[in-house]
Amino acid sequence: MKVFARLTLLVCLFAGSCFAAAPAPDPAKPGEELFRLSEVSGLYGGHLTIGERAEPKTLNPVTSTDAISREVIGRLMGDLIEINRSTQQTEPALAKSWKISPDGRTFTLQLRKGIRFSDGHPFDADDVVFSFTVYMDEAIDSPQRDLLIIDGKPIQVTKLDQYTVRFALPRPYAAAERLFDGLSMLPRHLLDKPYRDGHFAQAWSLNTPSTAIAGLGPFRLKQYLPGQRIVLERNPYYWKVDRENQRLPYLDELVFLFVGTEDAQVMRFEAGETDVISRLSSENYNLLAREKSRDRSQLADMGPSLEYNFLLFNLNDLRGKKLDEVAGKQIWFCDLKFRQAISAAVDRASIVRLVYGTRGAPLWGNVGPGNKLWINQSIPHPPQSLETARQLLKSAGYSWNSSGQLLDPAHKLVEFSIITSSSNTQRLKMATLVQDDLSHLGMQVHVVPLEFRALIDRVFQSFDYDAAVMGLGGGDADPNPEMNVWSASGTSHLWHLGETQPATPWERELDQLMQQQMVTLDYAKRKQIYDRAQQIIAGNLPFIFLGTPNILAGASSRVGNFHPAILDPYTLWNSDELYVRGPATERAGTR
Amino acid sequence: MSYLVRRLVRAILLLLGVSALCFVFTEMAPGSFFDDMRLNPQISPDTIAGLRAQYGLDQPLAVRYGRWMKSALHADLGYSIAYNAPVAPLLLSRAKNTLLLSGTALLFTWLISIPLGVWTANRRGRLLDKAVTLLTSFLISVPELVIAIALLAVAVRSHQLRVGGMTSSDVEGFSTFQRAQDIALHLALPVFILVLCETAVIVRHVRASVLEVLNTPYVHAARRYGVSRSRLLFRHVLPVAASPAISLLGFSLAGLLSGSLMVEVVCGWPGMGPLILEATLSRDLYLVIGGIMLSALFMVGGNLVADVLLFTVDPRIRKAGTDAS
Amino acid sequence: MRAKTLTLIAALVLLHLILLFAGFFAPYDPTTQSRELPYAPPTRLHFRDSAGLHFRPFVHNWKTSAESDISETYKEDLSQSYPISFFITGSGYKLLGIYESHLHLFGTTGPARIFLFGTDGYGRDEFSRVLFGGQISVAAGITATLIALFAGSVLGIIAGYYGGLVDESLMAVTELFLSLPWLYFLLGVRAFLPLHLSTLRTFFLLTGVIGLIGWARPARLVRGIVLSSRNRNYVLAARAFGASDLYILRRHILPATFSVLLTQASLLVPRYIAAEVTLSFFGLGVNEPVASWGNMLTTLQQYSVLTSYAWLLTPAAALVVTSVLYSALADVFHSQLESLTT
Repeated sequence: MKVFARLTLLVCLFAGSCFAAAPAPDPAKPGEELFRLSEVSGLYGGHLTIGERAEPKTLNPVTSTDAISREVIGRLMGDLIEINRSTQQTEPALAKSWKISPDGRTFTLQLRKGIRFSDGHPFDADDVVFSFTVYMDEAIDSPQRDLLIIDGKPIQVTKLDQYTVRFALPRPYAAAERLFDGLSMLPRHLLDKPYRDGHFAQAWSLNTPSTAIAGLGPFRLKQYLPGQRIVLERNPYYWKVDRENQRLPYLDELVFLFVGTEDAQVMRFEAGETDVISRLSSENYNLLAREKSRDRSQLADMGPSLEYNFLLFNLNDLRGKKLDEVAGKQIWFCDLKFRQAISAAVDRASIVRLVYGTRGAPLWGNVGPGNKLWINQSIPHPPQSLETARQLLKSAGYSWNSSGQLLDPAHKLVEFSIITSSSNTQRLKMATLVQDDLSHLGMQVHVVPLEFRALIDRVFQSFDYDAAVMGLGGGDADPNPEMNVWSASGTSHLWHLGETQPATPWERELDQLMQQQMVTLDYAKRKQIYDRAQQIIAGNLPFIFLGTPNILAGASSRVGNFHPAILDPYTLWNSDELYVRGPATERAGTR
Repeated sequence: MSYLVRRLVRAILLLLGVSALCFVFTEMAPGSFFDDMRLNPQISPDTIAGLRAQYGLDQPLAVRYGRWMKSALHADLGYSIAYNAPVAPLLLSRAKNTLLLSGTALLFTWLISIPLGVWTANRRGRLLDKAVTLLTSFLISVPELVIAIALLAVAVRSHQLRVGGMTSSDVEGFSTFQRAQDIALHLALPVFILVLCETAVIVRHVRASVLEVLNTPYVHAARRYGVSRSRLLFRHVLPVAASPAISLLGFSLAGLLSGSLMVEVVCGWPGMGPLILEATLSRDLYLVIGGIMLSALFMVGGNLVADVLLFTVDPRIRKAGTDAS
Repeated sequence: MRAKTLTLIAALVLLHLILLFAGFFAPYDPTTQSRELPYAPPTRLHFRDSAGLHFRPFVHNWKTSAESDISETYKEDLSQSYPISFFITGSGYKLLGIYESHLHLFGTTGPARIFLFGTDGYGRDEFSRVLFGGQISVAAGITATLIALFAGSVLGIIAGYYGGLVDESLMAVTELFLSLPWLYFLLGVRAFLPLHLSTLRTFFLLTGVIGLIGWARPARLVRGIVLSSRNRNYVLAARAFGASDLYILRRHILPATFSVLLTQASLLVPRYIAAEVTLSFFGLGVNEPVASWGNMLTTLQQYSVLTSYAWLLTPAAALVVTSVLYSALADVFHSQLESLTT
């Protein structure tokens, strides 16, 4: 009888593990240097579901290019230094501390001791060196490689001892610490072989078994159902603990559902099938807010984002390109007074009201009110004034014919097209509003929506366009990611690509300022330089800035520690702190 | 027999032609896969060029076509840039789901359309006919996407159906029967949308062709002679009215893989639709071409079935076909 | 003719007249933005006020009030009422594209405006946009249908009548056509064309593209009919009597196809009008700010619009009405043809 009972117990236990309950957090081992978050507490258990518009394409941190893959990978992997999305400042992560040499060129990072990957294998400096070798390998062409090349020279990574790594930069680089966020540490014990065999790009594709993937993030892969969902479970060895020294994350499981469209995202959230929704449009936000009284969900309007939307004129050098019609119009575009007139004529208040449903902010420069650390408050914000616009045009030699149409100094009708992406309804709306504004000045403007890649082709490749409404930014608050936009030779210098030398004196000054701020380590001095840069940009209008949306996110009432931020990933950046309230978790309480 | 052989040869030639034209068309479209990286100021053009070279995107058209043909013969059908995996397994795993959806929808569509078409033809001008005509006009005019979103909203709010995906998250402990039930609940909404939109078209055609036959002299005569309505219907009217219906059936079969794209995307059904849509927009060329080849296969098959049915139903066609030019 | 047919014809004529003279029937220019009134609900017409019943309806101005921080709500400003005037002078338009006029059927003189179908996201009058939008949409839909059906029927008849190799090769071509990735072709076409296309050019482009892609299905349907009708006894008899191919085609084969063609026509016209939605994604549709039912239907593809602003469904309703009328017309033709052949 006893044997039988024991057998039954064994079978039940076995069956229980077959049904794979989420792993419990591993008890802390001595010598393990955990990171204690002293303000965080919550309830253990439960799962959180988030709806995504598409499925991730790969789980490989080095080769992934699309946003959704990065969002999922970010939950599985850990970085040496992280940017806290709430404070926008860096904080130690896998590196518990670091020393910077006086010349700002050498970083010596101390790693936490005793940390293990999600499969239990220990983590040390060899993994760090391996990771950076892979990122900087030219044959793999990782999109993150360029972050590690400064001035054309790669960063040197050397292991000093089992838990110390030194990074040598070719020259001082302000905010070098911020580079480490997003550079996931790879497990050498799993990825070394594929790397040496030359198959690294195929490693960690979606059909990889979950045992072959290990990371230092709060979750590890449990299951992937093609086209339907991807399920992550708690990483029992995660190295952050909460206020009571209990190992995070609180959630047993994190589920990403592939719902197909933004509308489906909203509908499923409304119905309570998903718990978190990110980057809502203002119409959907208002829709959800109207239902809010019923289910007490948490909706958050985090204020203006870091993105900037603008009207761009084609100032490229078109010699030898057979684009005579566009070249003829460039005479107008290159005239600063013309651009200033357009900027004066644009009704930014209406853009914020009609495009963003008042949940946005107008912009006159590339840094908006969402970026409190870097915004230059002294840049003027003139309201719309058609009178000023007309004066400017008149002083530039423009005139109007009897039907009210604008004529340039050579008595040619002013007519041009604005291209924009047909899939981005907000920018399309902006273009239509601008078109209407400019018609009051007598300009004949046509809005031409194009498919996204067709648009990119025209702006970057063929230069066959007059003007475009586009958006940039949003990656980080720091000015450094913007280098390529404002440097004359930069690859995102959209209005004039392929410049070998700055084409105008102000571009030359802007170039020098950007180079300067890149190596200035002191925040106050750097801010001064960048303020001046913003002034030049706002004054010379290479882009006519329009507006920026607010970051809108929501979570159901059962989600705790929900702190959305204006930096990507807006809602899941603290997935290790999120917890859910419900009968299961409240019974279990804090373990 | 020789007829089937001829059709097979024609099918192979068609697939070759489609694949070649696909490559030409994709070459025509501006933009390529790594273009959205250009907007990211932190990625250099060298990296983008390196990636393009890695996937062979900078090779001339003929070279790429040749490589793809070789890969097709090895049953790989090329390589997806986004997923970093061969195309064929990606497609086939999702094609199964699409066939489940569109096959079920096809069954229900035809089960409803034929009786409904005949019924409204019989009761022409009366209330039922008018109501059905109004409904079909509505369903044809309103874009399928709008109908899908509206029905999705209703379904989600009702909490009765399972929306999204093919299986629920707690499917682990289910028996086979429960699993089937779960899938059926997930199927309900997308099938309903598809059936609504397709039935509208087919009912119209069936009604028109039945009407046409109902008004011929010999049918009138037979009626006056007292032949019963149902006998008339099944032995005289339907076989003659079958021709456009058979062609339409051919279209339905041909579109088994490609016709449900929008519905799959909106309802989150894990079929070929979302995969191909994203691949098309992001220029993941080989995935797109693989999908097109698979759909072309069904197209050829569907038309073959339709032609065979046409000949069987009306033997005079086949006989005449062999002795005319 | 029966009363029903007469009413149908009258309704169709009225619809087309209204669309043709949209400038007169619409109170405002379809591109004028009233930015302070986005998504305003339809203006309420009042006949009765404190003074009693009026013959002329009047309206009130909209007043926006931010009730909560969620969204602005529209309330009628009851302090002032503005009567509707008929045959009023308003914004200019070109009648039939030639004759300049300022006369409108109805409108208001005061600051209050009459938005019979509410406004869209830019504060543009939806009623005016539906009327003007119908011009290009209905014209494009009908023209595209005619092109597709003409090409399809010609090729279908040839394939079905001559059979054999001709049939096989034509059907192979249709299969090719239906399999190809037209999306990329369209993108290529767009890249090739100049950025800005006038409304007229867009119209030709729309009809051309749709017709080009759309002939394959009607061709197969027609071919099926021709295959079965060419071996009917009366055709064989006519042949035996020495009738030429052309005679047989005209007298026997062609009438057999009318049923299918009419059904297809009533199906394709609304389909093709709605197809502009897909085409505008590629930049081949009618561009803002010009109105067309196609580009108005694009805004309906958002859940928030469907649920919050019901009045924006009016272009879909207009399309349904048009479709119903054309279906009824096809039905009438159908019965007329039957009575001719029996």
